[in-house]
Amino acid sequence: MDIKRNYYEDIELFKSNTILVWSILFLIFLGILPWLIQKYHLLGMSIYIVNLITIHAIVAIGLNILVGYTGQISMGHAGFFALGAFTTVILILRWSFPLWVALPIAGFVSSAFGFILGLPALRLKGPYLAIATLGFGMTITTIIKHMEFFGGRMGLQAPRLYLFGTPMKDIHYYYVIMIIAVLMTIGAVKLIKTRVGRAFIAIRDSDIAAEAMGVNLTYYKTLAFAVSAFYTGIAGGLYAFILGFINPESFHLIMSITFLAMVVIGGLGSIMGSIAGAALMTFLDIKLQAIQDIPAIGPALVTFSQKYMSISGISNVAVIVYGLIMILIVLFEPLGIFGFWIRTKRYWKTWPF
Amino acid sequence: MFGQLIVSGLAVGACYALLAIAMVIIYKTSEVLNFAQGEMAMVSTFVAFTMLDAYHVPFPWAAALTFLFAIFLGIFFEIVFLRQAKDPTVIGLIIITLGFEMVLMGFAGWKWGPDQRSFPFPISNIETYNIGGLLISKINFWTILITLVLMFILFLFFRYTKLGIAMRATQQNQLAARVMGIRTKWILSFTWAISSIVGAVAGMLIAALGVLDPPMMMDPLLKGFASGVLGGMTSLPGTAVGGAMLGIIENLFGGYVSLAFKSVVAFIIIILMLCIRPSGLLARHYVKKV
Amino acid sequence: MVKKNLSLIGLLMATVFIIAVPASAQKVQGVTDTEILIGQWGPQTGPAAPWGAVARGTDLLVKIINEEGGIHGRKFKYFLRDDSYQPAKTKAIAKEFVEQIGVFAVVGGVGVATGMTARDYLMENKIPWCGPVTGVYEWITPIQKYLFAIYPLYDDEAFNLTGYLDEKLGYKKIAMFYQNDDYGKQGVMGVERYLLKKKINLVAKVSAEVTDRDLSTHALKLKNSGAEAVIMWTMPTHAALILAETAKIGFKPQWATSSTLSDSALMMQITKGLWVGMINSFFGELPDSNHPLMVKYREWHKKLAPQERWGVFYYAGIIFSEPFFEGVRRAGKNLTPETWISAMETLKNWQGIGPPISYSKPNHPMDRQGGKHVFYGKVKPDGNIQRLTDWIQITK
Repeated sequence: MDIKRNYYEDIELFKSNTILVWSILFLIFLGILPWLIQKYHLLGMSIYIVNLITIHAIVAIGLNILVGYTGQISMGHAGFFALGAFTTVILILRWSFPLWVALPIAGFVSSAFGFILGLPALRLKGPYLAIATLGFGMTITTIIKHMEFFGGRMGLQAPRLYLFGTPMKDIHYYYVIMIIAVLMTIGAVKLIKTRVGRAFIAIRDSDIAAEAMGVNLTYYKTLAFAVSAFYTGIAGGLYAFILGFINPESFHLIMSITFLAMVVIGGLGSIMGSIAGAALMTFLDIKLQAIQDIPAIGPALVTFSQKYMSISGISNVAVIVYGLIMILIVLFEPLGIFGFWIRTKRYWKTWPF
Repeated sequence: MFGQLIVSGLAVGACYALLAIAMVIIYKTSEVLNFAQGEMAMVSTFVAFTMLDAYHVPFPWAAALTFLFAIFLGIFFEIVFLRQAKDPTVIGLIIITLGFEMVLMGFAGWKWGPDQRSFPFPISNIETYNIGGLLISKINFWTILITLVLMFILFLFFRYTKLGIAMRATQQNQLAARVMGIRTKWILSFTWAISSIVGAVAGMLIAALGVLDPPMMMDPLLKGFASGVLGGMTSLPGTAVGGAMLGIIENLFGGYVSLAFKSVVAFIIIILMLCIRPSGLLARHYVKKV
Repeated sequence: MVKKNLSLIGLLMATVFIIAVPASAQKVQGVTDTEILIGQWGPQTGPAAPWGAVARGTDLLVKIINEEGGIHGRKFKYFLRDDSYQPAKTKAIAKEFVEQIGVFAVVGGVGVATGMTARDYLMENKIPWCGPVTGVYEWITPIQKYLFAIYPLYDDEAFNLTGYLDEKLGYKKIAMFYQNDDYGKQGVMGVERYLLKKKINLVAKVSAEVTDRDLSTHALKLKNSGAEAVIMWTMPTHAALILAETAKIGFKPQWATSSTLSDSALMMQITKGLWVGMINSFFGELPDSNHPLMVKYREWHKKLAPQERWGVFYYAGIIFSEPFFEGVRRAGKNLTPETWISAMETLKNWQGIGPPISYSKPNHPMDRQGGKHVFYGKVKPDGNIQRLTDWIQITK
């Protein structure tokens, strides 16, 4: 049953009824998730953190289209993220666009810049492309910082959004963000399965061979950058609203690097992996400081710090653990969380043999 | 003002070049972009600081012991982390170095606390030499000199010693090198040791120029990386030219056009230049075959 | 196929079980008969970590108050969270404080970009917030009922410092060196406002990016302006770098700087002595002051937190939370946000180890700006401060 008989079967979203059923169950789960979280605060989660994770997941999917599927590297996605955030806020603030218009516009502005960045990428590879994208991201945030139009250094306060006359809260944002995220995930899965996605993958495996096979490199490479930037721009627009206040200072290089880490740790070339990577890294980033509150470990850390380290820097333990987790996942599971998932699945399929 | 801008540009460029050399040595042999280079240098500098400040070790001894520590740190990272990677991708390796960067940053913050410190360096960062009407501070002068000397030694080393040739062989084809009797694993560790020492030199000079604190290498590392790319990422003279160019461009732009965009203009120029010469200034452009 | 489905169902059931374990999240307002819960965020890691000392200083004051028996029979439970100076994390912490821990109030909190993500959220949930550790207008405009600012406004501080240089010391050629962010910009605002009023030209306005580590060009620009006095509005690293660079090229103006750089022990060390002669404004008593409260705090510090450096930003954590505890004291046994606010509004020129603090009913933004005074000092060659003035009012 794994044999595909024709093209349409291959690009179908739900390959079997089982997957369809599980997808529907998963959607229902997403629907009641906020209720569960508000009631139980599992793992110290709040709806805000779920929103943040979802937004990061959109970015990770976008970045994975570029890095995992097309084989390009980008260390400047915080720039696109900032573009999306600032464009959305300014459209709504200055010209009172509704969100559902402002958000796509922000996405397209961002993807226009993605296209521009795609041009040098036509000739660059590896470290050269890394430095070009890195410089691009820094340039965008620096320009935003220096234009009074964007609020300058002071940052911008995102306007209040209203849903049927009531101000929107986290839970409302949750449904807005989740619907957009689900749509964009489906879009990405579809995109990868069609002609465009195949062209991306061909470029990743060997761009010269791809060109020889008739893939238009100029078109598809810039397209990959544009699509990736579009996803990131949309996510940036949503980010501005759950944060309520955006300042160019916070869209720095470390953010770009975190995005890249999400993609690699989730699994290069896997949409579901990106989501898992975004969830894991965001969660760790916010909640790792709880190490110090764990009953046995906390006091032990304090005594150790007093003896050998400095007590004022004890929070850095969280940073060390975060870094180690990053290293260990890549070391032992080069395909990231997605690779782990595949292995578990295979194990269960043949269990108990 | 023009002459002064060029001189200080050269001095800054020398620091960039040192970090670039450290990155290029590793990239040459193992194609790893080492983003932990800055933090490795920072931790080594903190080790030197502890010896100088807490144990009052004389500077030459402290420097020597720091180099030993740097060798240990480089080899440790190579053996314990990088070598364990199972068929890693290029990006996977980058993520490992970034993870190590975080570990080192966290370690430095934990061990030495977040406060800024001044690094006791034997050469003053305020006193100056006057060369033909141009002021150059002693430390800048020595930075440029040390960079040139180090570069020259490394250049000779790679070109003429057996070990250096073995390193180049390892870079070009690991398997063939191993068949020829070169211990490639040993060579890789050796590369990391050298690079880590060069980084430690850069770290101490940069700390002496300003202040010593955990995030001190973030900006210099990016600039070092940029000058390495500008120079071609595989050529040592290229990195020197790249570093000097970057420093001078930045300073001239900052001096005559706009200070606000000073840091960014370097990157814009690099992007434009890379469009014309995709492999940097002084490197040959290889097109990979299918 | 069947097996696969079964395993998936098993997985789902396991998840349901995990989720269904009841977690205790009792919603209290943060006040019981024996306890008051308060929280603060501060960067303990990352590039802004030096400012994390503030949150640990507040911890010391909480411990002192608890050791002395608490206030009205209630002891304080203090939650310190690390936001690494990342706004997204700050907001997560604010939500945790309100929705999960259920704090009574938030005290302190370093940073504008970080605090701004939490401001509206805290205000909507009627959580009192006392003493954000930055002197910007964002805390008092628009005026907030539950937010009590303490830190003297950077804008007014710069305005008066320029005035001091111009009127008392007679410097007419003044230049400005600042860090290009919200903190530096509000400093520029004050300097330019003063000079415009007096129709004096600012001879140079040089800014540095937060990440810059090479300031040689900046130093040359300052020198070429021929300024007699330079006002500096930066972070410690940039201050050390610019002093070294200007000393290198032989440019020695009168420097003056904000209260943010008032930790002269640290500054003397990292500038290798170039800090001598700096005119500094201060928002709190000097570290070695004989003020009775300072003596008391120093003794407790030796007892409770000897491993911390007694730096200005460590005890700033005390300065920016003292008024909060005074409010709790005055509110009496019946502590609610409303009684606390009325108690805070009775503070008139109340002074701990910081500036005199006054609040009143919220009619004008300044009614919620507690600290309106600084004093000036000059750094002596031994690193100690020679006090030039008494507390002077900078905000009208």
